[in-house]
Amino acid sequence: MPDLSGTPATLLKLDGISKSFGRVAVADNLSLELAAGEMLGIVGPNGAGKSSLFGLIAGDLSPSAGQIFFDGSPVTKLDAGARCRLGIGRTFQVPKPFGAMTVFENVLVAVQQGSGLRRRASYAAAGAVLELAGLTLDANRPAERLGLLSRKRLELARALATGPKLLLLDEVAGGLTDPEVTELVGIVRQIKERGTAVIWIEHVVHALTATVHRLICLASGSVIGDGDPAQVLAMPAVREVFLGTEISASLGAPGQENG
Amino acid sequence: MSAVEPAEHQAANVSQVAEAARSGMPVEVTRSRGSTIWTAIAVIVIVAVLFDLPRIVYSGTTNLLVDFFFLLIISSMWNLLAGYAGLVSVGQQAFIGLGAYFVLIAANHGTSPFMAIPIATAACAVAGLVVWWLVSRLRSGYFAITMWAVASVCELIIIQISSLGGGTGTALPGLTSNPTYLDAYTYWATVVVAVVGLAGIYFLLRSPLGLVLTAIRDNETGARSTGSRVARTRLVVFVVSAAGCGAAGALYIISQQFVVPPAAFSVSFSAEMIFITIIGGIGTIEGPIIGTIIFFTLQQTLSHYGVWYWIILGIIAMAVAIWAPRGIWGLVSENFGVRLFPVGYYLWPAGESPRRFIGGKR
Repeated sequence: MPDLSGTPATLLKLDGISKSFGRVAVADNLSLELAAGEMLGIVGPNGAGKSSLFGLIAGDLSPSAGQIFFDGSPVTKLDAGARCRLGIGRTFQVPKPFGAMTVFENVLVAVQQGSGLRRRASYAAAGAVLELAGLTLDANRPAERLGLLSRKRLELARALATGPKLLLLDEVAGGLTDPEVTELVGIVRQIKERGTAVIWIEHVVHALTATVHRLICLASGSVIGDGDPAQVLAMPAVREVFLGTEISASLGAPGQENG
Repeated sequence: MSAVEPAEHQAANVSQVAEAARSGMPVEVTRSRGSTIWTAIAVIVIVAVLFDLPRIVYSGTTNLLVDFFFLLIISSMWNLLAGYAGLVSVGQQAFIGLGAYFVLIAANHGTSPFMAIPIATAACAVAGLVVWWLVSRLRSGYFAITMWAVASVCELIIIQISSLGGGTGTALPGLTSNPTYLDAYTYWATVVVAVVGLAGIYFLLRSPLGLVLTAIRDNETGARSTGSRVARTRLVVFVVSAAGCGAAGALYIISQQFVVPPAAFSVSFSAEMIFITIIGGIGTIEGPIIGTIIFFTLQQTLSHYGVWYWIILGIIAMAVAIWAPRGIWGLVSENFGVRLFPVGYYLWPAGESPRRFIGGKR
């Protein structure tokens, strides 16, 4: 293993990452550092490059320029599976369950492949993750028969089951009711308390501000605000680009782009 | 706790999950269901009877069973590839043909054709590696058609080799001239390949690799993001399937005692594999077994009706596709909750009855 002791505080480092789809830049010379165990929230309007940023960190997308370091070693050339085995776990905005497999098997495959446990050790780990995510009673149900909340929980449980040092949460609270969001926030806090670093993208801003200590606002693939959540949300540039859309959208302004 | 794989996983990474496991609720996991023990007994009895059959019945019956097991092997291999790895191929006859010709080559050099079966199987595994290197980037229809092209290329190459009989074919040397012994040996070899092949598929699907395979089939992106080695898993399945079809091809040339390229590389093998797997139930181990029984029965009872035979096969295929998209076995297992070859995992809290948690799907 390369020098893990070199920069003990920094877990993830993005160095000048760029990525475009056609003429749309989803990451524009983007740099970012995250300490081990840190919890970071990301907000931004639709199309700001939030989910693409997760794709770049997790290895589902490859950048056209820049370097990504995780745990002291470069991971830019590694695929998503290899990065997961190093300790980057992620959820998807639209859950991607293994439909024909049971909930337990969904989590078990993540434990076995992501953290390398086998047999009884992997069964016990998967059982513990299911309990944390509140899915124990659904353990033997096929994943395709789950409702939305349970699907979101499964998505979270599966990412957690890989034994991540860094967990990427992509809108896990989207589409849920307030009590459900509160429950989910409770789960995320428990994860954070174990020392797992978390980056959390969320449109449900109050879920974020209740949990994170650092907030980033993305727009057009660039960081336009970074720091204390209250301060970032108060920045004029952030209010303009992020809250502006939200307000127009919630007023239902005709002809307003919100896709 | 046991079997922690330390290699290439950092200690902190593993210990965190393991620690969570220790603090968690005690759970039990079972791999089998109530029906499994009966399946095991039935399998042992059936295999024992099958091995004794040449001493009991006439060779006409065992020759029929050779055809039956040949279809069972190739459709099970196709099911592994298409139903579990999502790789729909119409070119697996490439490996049937190659398996047949590898036996011919070995026999031409003085090896007994029966001893050449494992050689042909291994050679087809290697051929599978080479073909996979060519086709691994292709998906869906492109993969299917390219595999057909690969089969045609193999056929055209064999036709060019006059020492293997060229386009007109050749007889397989080295077989015993006593027809009774030959039929019995051929039958035993077929049963051995079928049992080894099906057991191999069963234990492959029960292993961690089988779980990954099912995950990749259900959602490839999701599988990658949970640390799965997608490319390596597909490679393993493709090679296993190639080897299995190669073994079937070896049996084919031995039972025919003659080989000609258009027959050994015939695309109708693919049609049979697909028909059997689809009507039986794709993505289940039981499916190809049920499918082979149905197809073989139809073939034996209706094939002398000529065109009507094909029309009936077509109607059955359409009816199954419309009313039982998961095949006959899919219907049975959905309605009765039966699994003869369980490969899944069932969880229940320690101290409770598993039956309560597994429910009606025992």
